[in-house]
Amino acid sequence: MPRLRPIVVLAAVCVLTAAIVATPAISQTPKSGGVLTVMQREDLPQGFAILETSTISSVWPSMPCFSNLVIFDPLKKQESVDTVIGELAEKWSWQDTYRNLVFFLRKGVKWHDGQPFTSKDVKYTFDMLRETPDAAGKLRINPRKDWYANVEAVEAAEPHTVVFRLKKPQPSLLLMLASGYSPIYAAHVPAATYRTTCVGTGPFKVKEWKKAEYVEFVKNPDYFIKGRPYLDGLKYIPIPERGTKFAALQAGRLDVAFPGDATKTIAEQVTKAEPRIKATITGQNVNDNLLLNVTKPPFNNVKLRQAFSLAIDRRGVVQSVHQGGAAVGASMAPKPFGVWGMLDKDLASLPGYGKAADEKAKAKKLLAEAGHGPSNPLKVELATRAIPQYLDFASFVINELKQVGVEATLKQIETAQWHPLATRKEFQAGPNLTGIGIDDPDANYFENWACGSPRNYGGYCNEQIMKMIEAQSQELDAKKRLAMVIEIQKKLEADAGRPTIAWRQDYYLQWQHVKNLIPHQSIYNWGRMQEVWLDK
Amino acid sequence: MSVVIFLLLRLAPGNIVDILFSTGGYVSDADKKLIMQELGLDKPVWAQYVEWIRNMATGDLGKSYRYDVPAWQVIKPLIPVTIELAVLSTIVAVLIGVPTGVISAVRQDTVFDYALRIFSLAGLSMPSFWLGMVIILALAAWLGWVPPMTYVGVREDFKIHAVQFLLPALAVGYRSSALITRITRSAMLEVLREDYVRTAWAKGQSEGAVVWRHALTNALLPVVTVIGIEFAFLIGGLVVTETVFNLPGVARFLVQAILWRDYPIVQTLVMFIAIVVVLSNLFVDLLYGWLDPRVRYSG
Repeated sequence: MPRLRPIVVLAAVCVLTAAIVATPAISQTPKSGGVLTVMQREDLPQGFAILETSTISSVWPSMPCFSNLVIFDPLKKQESVDTVIGELAEKWSWQDTYRNLVFFLRKGVKWHDGQPFTSKDVKYTFDMLRETPDAAGKLRINPRKDWYANVEAVEAAEPHTVVFRLKKPQPSLLLMLASGYSPIYAAHVPAATYRTTCVGTGPFKVKEWKKAEYVEFVKNPDYFIKGRPYLDGLKYIPIPERGTKFAALQAGRLDVAFPGDATKTIAEQVTKAEPRIKATITGQNVNDNLLLNVTKPPFNNVKLRQAFSLAIDRRGVVQSVHQGGAAVGASMAPKPFGVWGMLDKDLASLPGYGKAADEKAKAKKLLAEAGHGPSNPLKVELATRAIPQYLDFASFVINELKQVGVEATLKQIETAQWHPLATRKEFQAGPNLTGIGIDDPDANYFENWACGSPRNYGGYCNEQIMKMIEAQSQELDAKKRLAMVIEIQKKLEADAGRPTIAWRQDYYLQWQHVKNLIPHQSIYNWGRMQEVWLDK
Repeated sequence: MSVVIFLLLRLAPGNIVDILFSTGGYVSDADKKLIMQELGLDKPVWAQYVEWIRNMATGDLGKSYRYDVPAWQVIKPLIPVTIELAVLSTIVAVLIGVPTGVISAVRQDTVFDYALRIFSLAGLSMPSFWLGMVIILALAAWLGWVPPMTYVGVREDFKIHAVQFLLPALAVGYRSSALITRITRSAMLEVLREDYVRTAWAKGQSEGAVVWRHALTNALLPVVTVIGIEFAFLIGGLVVTETVFNLPGVARFLVQAILWRDYPIVQTLVMFIAIVVVLSNLFVDLLYGWLDPRVRYSG
């Protein structure tokens, strides 16, 4: 056996020592105490009433108050069925080939007002969400009723056992229950109360909500996980002005940013100016897409839809609109952050994903086949929300369409008018942003693509694809399901019912002294804060 | 005034119910109807107006649609913030504007005059929000420090409170001072040519007495008018400054309330601003009488 030279041995020892020294973050013991100051984009739109809203502005500052039955592991950056952990449910069990989902609840859990938590609270919450005739409560606005369309009944026969009976197997239900959008409300507190305060079972209790100024939380001493939370409190500070909020972060007035708020450019500037602030790149589960009203001309003509999809240079959007801070992908969030996205090589074969010049040539050909050319240009009005994120994207789209001979004009719609207009389908086409609560095909497809769904603004409905969506939802084999979802993505892109253009990425900023706050690929599900601690 | 406020708001497209559904990302006509009923928005506009006036007369300002709490509870803490910022900005404007205007007039067509006129022209050309943003970004970049992002009360920490208000007051006051400088200068130039000023010089009075006592006192009327108008404007016009410095004041909140179509809040805040404008004008009129005895009304 050859003898190792002393210098090699010494080098090996040095490398090993360095490796051990260089990994203190993993072995660091969490410290208790301190208050985390958190950036908030705007004042809470509807208080803590998560069930009545679909905006991150409500979910992010309200999550610490609540608990779900299950939740995505806050310490794992990619959400999937494998990262779901128990929260109010100690354990769960699928029965009757995924037709019944039984939750075994923790005992001794108390609401923030001291009342005991039982299975009645779970039943109350999900009956209210499903709007059953005998529901004890009613939500003013119920954006996620469709998530639970497959739930036939929620039974609370025993105080610590709940059974979800499904009409057909749906493994994804567990993921929906793990979303930040699925907190359990207290049955003894009217649902309207959550618009002004919060009675939850979560790691933090509301101390004060000073309107337009801050929301303050204190540690819940009765939290059901012993030793958590580490922090003494949280303070969310709404700062609407972008320059001010990042100056405040840079100057240490804030410890962490708001999910999805920092662009790539901002992140680069802030981390350069203050190296103790780190940026974590991840997905947002928010995409730029082009709404096409397929219920009337011209977009009931598939050729014109395809022409529009081909005309828009997706890589151009990533570079120009997002300065590189986005990724190209089909209808599911792309890899590496997304679970269900297509690989680059597969994406390249989809219409609209090839070389921009080639795709535009194909678009012109399709337009010509539909009777539109230089002498008879297609004239289209694009409607979009009058806010910068939408307008930047819309301007790019108009320019792209111009290059294939489409005369597009822009109609800016005020936020108050946008959803009524979109729901009534009073538009031809519209550059749009869509956020999806969880990275799962059921949440995305049933909400945005299913025939008759209120958020399927363009009215796209393809019976064959609908059957495929239903089939993947019931598929129990994960590999088979992935293959089915890839097929759906291919078909949706080919049909161009609502072309997906780009998936936004988050450059989440936080000071290095903030530990265990790990951004996930969806901005909506990681704000519980029970594992976060401060190393200062 | 109340009719104008009430009607203009209703003319804006959409209402709170549309906004609520926007946060949900969908619209349900049946649910929309229910919420409209709950908020009283299903009644005819005239009936809503009568109800509002009747409630105002009894001190009931209504309930915020967005926050679901009495409007006064939301508005009350905002008023002192805006009043304080407007007063401080006005003081800064007067402290900069009047002396520079006087010096500029007295040293007409000298280097001083030119420098001060450029200074005031720069103030007029620079929007206060831009200056505010530059201050914030410069502080963050050079000192690694910015004022607190939440309101610090005067009793809580006087120093921090002072800094928190002085920086925006400087940004706003500088712009207002530019106008005051120009008005003061032109009024002073006019007065300095009057016979009584020449007489004062001839009597051998000191420059200070002639300029500051005889000339300035008589040149103040148009200056006071401008100060009054500027103060009234600031009450509602601090939107961007309050936003840039993240101060929880009336103006910033008013914009949010308008975007949310939170009628009870908007109506109350606009009425408040209108009252301040009326009072500030009344105060200026009263000041005229004190500054210039010729203006006083005789019995």
